[in-house]
Order: sequence, then C-alpha cells, then structure tokens
Amino acid sequence: MEAVYQQNIDHFMDRINNGEKIEADDWMPDDYREALIRLISMHGISEIMGALPEKEWVPKAPTLHRKLAIMAKVQDEMGHGQLLLRVAEDLMAPLGKNRDDIMKDLFSGRLKFHNVFHMEAPTWGDAGIIAWLVDGAAIISQTMMLGTSYGPYGRALKRICAEEVFHAQHGESIIMALAEGTEEQRELLQDALNRWWTSLLMFFGPKSKNETGHSNQDKNMQYKLRTKTNEQLRQEFLTKYVPRIWSLGLTIPDPTLRFDEEKSEWEYADPDWSEFKKIVTGNGPKSKERLALRVRSYEMNSWVREALGKRPQHI
Amino acid sequence: MSDAEKDFYQVYEVFSKKTDTAPLQYQFSLLAPNRELAFIMAKENFFRREQPADIWVVKRDDIRTMTQEEREGIKNLDKAYRETKGYGYLKKKWRKYEQEQLTEKDIMGGGNS
Amino acid sequence: MESAEYRSSLIELVYQLADDDFILSYRGSEWLGLAPHIEEDVAFSSISQDLMGHAALYYSLLEELGEGDADELTHARSPEKFRNAVLMELPNGPGSYLEEPNYDWAFTVVRNYFYTLAKKVRLHSIKEHSYETLQQIVQKISIEMSYHLMHWETWFDQLMNSTPEARRRMTEAIDVVLKEMKGVFSYGDDGEKIVHLSLIESEEILTRRWKAILSEKVDHPLEIEMSSLNGRNGKHTDHLERALSTLSEVYQSVPSAEW
Repeated sequence: MEAVYQQNIDHFMDRINNGEKIEADDWMPDDYREALIRLISMHGISEIMGALPEKEWVPKAPTLHRKLAIMAKVQDEMGHGQLLLRVAEDLMAPLGKNRDDIMKDLFSGRLKFHNVFHMEAPTWGDAGIIAWLVDGAAIISQTMMLGTSYGPYGRALKRICAEEVFHAQHGESIIMALAEGTEEQRELLQDALNRWWTSLLMFFGPKSKNETGHSNQDKNMQYKLRTKTNEQLRQEFLTKYVPRIWSLGLTIPDPTLRFDEEKSEWEYADPDWSEFKKIVTGNGPKSKERLALRVRSYEMNSWVREALGKRPQHI
Repeated sequence: MSDAEKDFYQVYEVFSKKTDTAPLQYQFSLLAPNRELAFIMAKENFFRREQPADIWVVKRDDIRTMTQEEREGIKNLDKAYRETKGYGYLKKKWRKYEQEQLTEKDIMGGGNS
Repeated sequence: MESAEYRSSLIELVYQLADDDFILSYRGSEWLGLAPHIEEDVAFSSISQDLMGHAALYYSLLEELGEGDADELTHARSPEKFRNAVLMELPNGPGSYLEEPNYDWAFTVVRNYFYTLAKKVRLHSIKEHSYETLQQIVQKISIEMSYHLMHWETWFDQLMNSTPEARRRMTEAIDVVLKEMKGVFSYGDDGEKIVHLSLIESEEILTRRWKAILSEKVDHPLEIEMSSLNGRNGKHTDHLERALSTLSEVYQSVPSAEW
C-alpha cells in the first residue's frame, strides 16, 4: 500500500514540476484536494457574497448607463462564483458533497468569505471604490493564480480575468466622474477611500505565519497553486494604485505610507490582524446581514429546487 | 435537505459554435435540474458578451471520458509512420535529383506554380 | 411628424412601453443574488439588463420627441407622470431587497411570463403598423424578447407540472397576476386616439391574441381584471413611489452633478 502511494505521489509531483495540469478525475494526494477545495470554494463563495454589497447600489446607480453597467458587473461576479463553485463541486464529488453542502458550510460559518465583503458600503462612493480598488486587488491575486497546477481552476480563472478588464474600467469610470465632480462628489469618494483602505490592505492576508498562527501559503506554493506570497501581492497593489490615488488628489488615510527606495518596497501601517480574524470569522460590521440574505434566498426558494428535483429527468 | 432537492443539482456540460462553420468547442459546466433548464441557463452563463451560432448541452453522466491512465497512455504513442515528420529525410533525397520535394500546398492544391 | 394629436398620442404610447420595461427591470434587479440557484441568478440578470436596455431605447425616442433627457425622465419624474401598468410595480414579495426579502418565485415567473407574452403581442402589432422610428426600435427589442419568453415559458411549464405544492403556488400567483393584467393591455384615457391613429391595435384585439396563445397552455380561466388603479392614467400604488425614490436616490443627492 505504502509503496503504491509513494509511487503515485512521486508521479504526481513529477507532473506538477513538469508544468502539467492536473484534471478533476486524476489521482491527487488528499491534502492537494483539500487545499484546492478550501481555496476555490472560498474564492467562489466570496464572489457570490461579493455581489451583495454592490447589489445594494444596482437600483440606485445614478444614470441609466450606470445602472446597466453595474448590473452587468454584479452579474459577472455571480457568474464567476458559478464557475468557481463548479470547479470546487467537482473536487468535492468524490467526498459525496455538492453545492448544497457548500451553502450549508457557508451558513454554519465553516466556509469563510473575503474580509472585504463583510464591510459596509453606505454610499455610491463605496460602489466606486469597490469596483476600482477591491476589484483591482482581486485582479492581482487572480492573475497570479492563472498558472495554477489545477487545470479546471486555471480555465475558470482565464474566463474570469478576461471579464475583469471591463470591471476595472467600470470602476475607474465611476471614480473618475466623482473625482472630477462637485465638492460633494469628491467628498463621497474620499470618505469611501477612508473606509476601505484598511480592508484593502487586509485583502491579501497577513504576511507570514507569525501573525495569525497559521498559513497555507507554503503548501500552496509547493503545489504550484500560487506563485507569490501575500506580501508580494500587496506590494504590487500598492505600486499599481497608490500613485493613481494620489494623482487624483485623494488622501490615503495612512501618514506613514511611503515608498522606501533603498529596500524598494512600500512601508505602510500594518492593519490590526486580530481585527481581520474577527471579520473573516463572521463578526464584521455586515457579516450577519449578508449571511442572512443568503440564507433567506436559500430558504425561500427551497420549494423550487424540491419541485424540479422531483420531476423526471429526461423530458 | 430532501433527496429531491439534491436531485436539482445535475451537472450539464456546455458546448458552442462561434460561427456556423466553426467546430464545436467546450465551454464549461453548469448545474440544472434537467435539459431544458440547462439549455436556457447556458446562454446567459457563458455567452454574455458574444452571440454564439449554436449551443449544445449534454448531461455529464452521458459522456464517456478518458481515465488518467488512458490519457497518459495515449500520449506516448509514436505514429511517425503516419505523420509528415516521419518523412523529413525525403527533402534531401530529392535535392540529390535536383528536384524540390512537393510541399503540403502543392499536394493539397491552391498553388499554381 | 404629423399632427400635434398624433405626436402626443405617440408620446403617450412610448411612455407606456418604456415605463413597463423600466419598472419591471427594477423588480428584476431586486432579485439579484437571491434567485433559486446561481445559474438562474446570472440568467435572470441578463433579462433585467435587457429590459432596462429596451426602456433606454424608448426613452431615447422620447428624447428625440422633445420630452427631455432620458436620465431625467427616469430619475426626476414624479410618480403620477409614470405610465407603467400597476402589475410592474407590485413588489416581489414582503420585505425589501436589502432586508428580510421574502420573495415569491412563483409570482415572479407568472408576472414575467404573462407580461412577456403580452409584450410579444404588443410589439408584433407595432411592427405591423405604427410610427416608423418606433417600429425600428421594436424590431431590435423583439430578438431579445423572444429569449425572455423562452426563459419564462420554460420555468412556467416546469413549475406547473411538478409537485402539488409548486402547482398551488403557481395557481395562486396566476390569480394575483390576472387581477392586474387588464391594466397591462389598457392604453388609458387616450387609448381611443392611440388606436384610431393606428399606432397600435385595440386593447380587445391584443387581449384576445394573448388569451388565445395562453389558453393552449393554461387550464385555468383567463378572466383579466384591473382591480386597483390604471397606471396608464398616472394612478399608482405607493409601491411605485418607493421604487422611484430608490431608483433616484443617488441622482437626486447632488442635483445637477455629472455621474
């Protein structure tokens, strides 16, 4: 038994190191499957939960064009959730689990979603900042995983990243109009930035093991699920966006933020990681409400799934 | 959750053609309780920005796919005898007779020279 | 453009077409993130976007006809100026889209299916004979509309032919929708002129066509009523006012701003 396992794992690691892609029905070590399920179901459910804060602004968007654009954008997020959940579900199938179990795990708090989607989005400025910077952060971490060793995840990400270009421009267009608008509009934008800055830094996760006590970064790199560390991604984000934020005359609410030429990296005030932990474990300002919406959607439509689940399959 | 609710989630694979003459291409999978709903979901889930010429949905259970073993086995097949790359040496041979080897274009037509 | 009477009747009809799609699109957008499953959420959202797009086409025609800016028409018009049928403004169910929604999928399927079928009949009549620019718009809209019809028809057929509970919910929903369905076919107080000027055929003809198609499918008496108010005359329930204040919240927050 052990010899066979060793042979399997050697072959598997050879494939990974040769840059081959692993497919859903291929042999894979349990911890690879577990890491994938954890990573992809969290990514997928975050897209679904991420639709909720932006959805608040869909009917309220200020023009017909903005209404159409944000509706299309939130729809894309749901669509990304669909792709990712499909990938996760195929990995879970051998364990006898399906989408219903993913939802149950979400409701019970076992399955977590991104810190940013636990936060409030009280104004149209927030809709702009979410589309510009939260999506900007998401693009950085998603493109990093395009080369993932797991084939289906890579294919889903490829579809997702292609659409993110539209999202980025949708966000830029909203904030540009606000930045070039009236005094009130600029204030709306600045307030939203102040609200979101810490969450944006948190988005990439803590630096290393020391800060939260556990980290899946190392294993994920060994399995070629990811190629960069949290901190590398955060630095990329800062390099990409800080100059742009400043160029619009906005203030970033961190007086210590500066680029250290010598070390060639950004210095910033480290967010409170115990707060991060509190948020992602379901104690953020909007965690309960958003989860309640999801539960509501599940329960109020349960009769529909029951009705059609019972119909003969081939009609 | 009842069994019926679980049966709601059937896996369907979605294929499409970009144009009438294009070959069928795999897109992605989706969950739906039956073929009709799978079909109406397919368009909006995978073709929000482009208009496909045709869409097919197939229940995954009805597809026979290769196992990992089969896929890896097939990779190692050497069929040089039925591919042009197995006949590269002919180019030199023809040169010896002061002739050019016929190219694919010459053989398949389309070239008048 | 012909007489002033023709012009004002045309404008009246276009408002009715525009506002129906606009308000129903709003109701659809409230479902975002709450549909029976994720795939449907994505598909339904396309329909809501299309409806908003159709409304935008009509509003741009109203712009051309001198009614003012499309964004103003949608974000700064008072409820009594809206011409949508009351059926569109009815909420999806108790609660709001932000808090405690208890939405009814059966009602949504029936409302959308019955409305889309009526829209098909309506657009078909306009295509046959009406104002030319309106005909061109309707031509464009028809293609997407037929997808919507297929979507709602599939849901309708399947839920009607599944469990007793689903059938009960659907039947209840049909009764609710039929009670306001007459308002969809109404052209309001100006109806006679609209029909007389050949902008569209009469309410009776369209209703008959609609019933003929539906009676093949539904084993249920199709008596339509207009039990509350006639939205075509600008009479609405409070639901519309609430919807419009949500729709215009940001637009109104900084008057005269560019967004």
